[in-house]
Amino acid sequence: MSNPGQDLSTQLAVDIQGVGKRFKRNVDRRNSIKERIVRGRSRKPEDFWAVRDVSLQIPKGSVYGLIGHNGSGKSTLLKMIGGIYRPTEGSITTDGRVASLIELGAGFHPEMTGRENISLNGSILGMPKKEIAAVTGEIIEFSGLGDFINDPVKHYSSGMYVRLGFSVAVHMKPDVLLIDEVLAVGDEEFQRKCFDHLYALRRSGRTIIVVSHGLGQLEGLCDEIAWLEHGQMQEFGAPTTTIASYLRKVNSQEAARYPEVTAVRAEGEEARPGDQTLRVRTAAIVDTAGNPLNHTETGSTFQFRIGFTTSEPVLGPNVRIALQHESGPLVTMIGNHRLGFDLGTVSGDNVFDVALVDNPLLPGRYRVHIDVFDFTGSRLLDSWNDAVEFAVRSQSGEIGQGFVQLPAQFRLG
Amino acid sequence: MLTDLYRQRALIGAFANRDFATRYRSSILGWAWSLIQPLAILVVFAAVFSLVFRIQAPDLGNGEGSSYAAFLFTGLVTWNLFAGLLNLSMTQLKSNGELLKKVQFPAWAPILGASIVQLIQVLLELAVLVVMFLWLGNVGWTWVLAIPILVGTALFAQGIGLVLSIINARFGDVMYIVAVVLSALYFLTPVLYPISMVDGQNELLSLVVKLNPMSWYVESMHEVMYSLVAPPALVIAALLVGGFLTFWAGLAIFNRGSEDIGELL
Repeated sequence: MSNPGQDLSTQLAVDIQGVGKRFKRNVDRRNSIKERIVRGRSRKPEDFWAVRDVSLQIPKGSVYGLIGHNGSGKSTLLKMIGGIYRPTEGSITTDGRVASLIELGAGFHPEMTGRENISLNGSILGMPKKEIAAVTGEIIEFSGLGDFINDPVKHYSSGMYVRLGFSVAVHMKPDVLLIDEVLAVGDEEFQRKCFDHLYALRRSGRTIIVVSHGLGQLEGLCDEIAWLEHGQMQEFGAPTTTIASYLRKVNSQEAARYPEVTAVRAEGEEARPGDQTLRVRTAAIVDTAGNPLNHTETGSTFQFRIGFTTSEPVLGPNVRIALQHESGPLVTMIGNHRLGFDLGTVSGDNVFDVALVDNPLLPGRYRVHIDVFDFTGSRLLDSWNDAVEFAVRSQSGEIGQGFVQLPAQFRLG
Repeated sequence: MLTDLYRQRALIGAFANRDFATRYRSSILGWAWSLIQPLAILVVFAAVFSLVFRIQAPDLGNGEGSSYAAFLFTGLVTWNLFAGLLNLSMTQLKSNGELLKKVQFPAWAPILGASIVQLIQVLLELAVLVVMFLWLGNVGWTWVLAIPILVGTALFAQGIGLVLSIINARFGDVMYIVAVVLSALYFLTPVLYPISMVDGQNELLSLVVKLNPMSWYVESMHEVMYSLVAPPALVIAALLVGGFLTFWAGLAIFNRGSEDIGELL
């Protein structure tokens, strides 16, 4: 793709040099004249830098991802590239027409039909009338709106609205397309269409800059990713490595911020099903050394620690742990009988430690339900729904889809 | 600066189209409202001011008596052009705020687009005025001079409107202040009464009325449309050039003030 004879600068779609953006804190935005007069200009508003010292060279025809926490400055940077904000310092040079998908259908007028809005939106995005007319059919086709295109957009569902918005923006044939958190539009099928279209745009030499929290999506789409933190560039480079460093930071920060909030729960004295000859008292997620955790990672071993008391000795209890994904489905049920572990006779106050070796759960939140039966499996001793909840995070940056990672092996031949 | 306007004519046109198409879309009578409203006001004002206050309009240019309604409507059309553009322009930045925060394009485009639609409304009113004078048999070549006068009025209003829109985006109070000032100015402009009525009255009042630029535009319209008298060429030129300069200055101030419009709104 790269042409060694060409000057480097002509191959850049966007050249960001030491850019900074300072905002006045909204403490007192003197939006009325009275306030201006009463308080005057004496009190200096607090400034803060949303973006500072960011330099970035984005080559033509690349897909560039921006990641970071909320408030890290990535949207501000995107708005500066789009020319909506002026940089306080530094410079941004863009080559060609920039279209921003900062919000889909931002210029739609509810009273106008889809078709009328296409031409309005095209004009606002800076497209000549002829070109708009030429792509209108394609836009309607892509949006899949059919006859609805002649209805006022106020009658559209939110899905139809964003589908039209997305179709308009990507068909404006911008040289640089800015996308802010709008990739998750429409149903599965439409999303796939969007991605196909973005790939096609990239193949035709357009540059795409995308801000998203969907790390998995970005990893597949981007050539390079930049990570911003408090408005400053932390790292940029290959998607996998940048996302991995970002996730490491996120995980460690979260652990530091909530040292006391661990996935531990002690029960109250509420009535529960079962005869309560064995009653579960606590449920916690701990590491292999027994230290409480607030989250765990895919692939690392951790344990469920279940504290209990008995009113009489219990022979060979059958402990079942059900794991339910936050989205509803039951992922699996772990039981000591099924796995062939005999716990012997238990009595008094004690704990069960259930180790999940090389945690196969993929990132997400999981709810834990605990049932304890007698050795026959027919008499319920205790049943604690939603005993505890814990999060699984990604270690590597690989996000994956679904709930579990199966121990598969690949080889050639 | 002015060539930018020409280069972006498609964008201005797109906004004009939007405003034209949506202005009366949800009402049954549609564009008829643009005439019903001013005509209703005309009937009420004509009744109150000629019957109750007994204001006497000057003689018609054709020498066949006088018509307070025709006199009043001449002034109203001119005033509506001015006040309509001003009010509409002032709120455009705010009403297009969501768009301006998200897409980069010249911020004056929606304002000028809205103004074009307002001008269509003025043309409709003007057509009614012409019909009215034809019916009265009050026709003259001086009518041609209405064109530069109205163009001057529109440019003058638009220049002020652009500046007010940018101030209003910063300070929300401005639109309320302008509402008060406009209603005062309305009475300080010879729309409801002939300018001769302020002569020999309170000197300060008479001075204010005569210094008010809108008085010049409205009075010139009275002369060319109603009295069929041609004002000196210099006056017509001054009205046109004054309007143009106001517009030009307004646009320059607007461009300076709207550089960070995406952050302001």
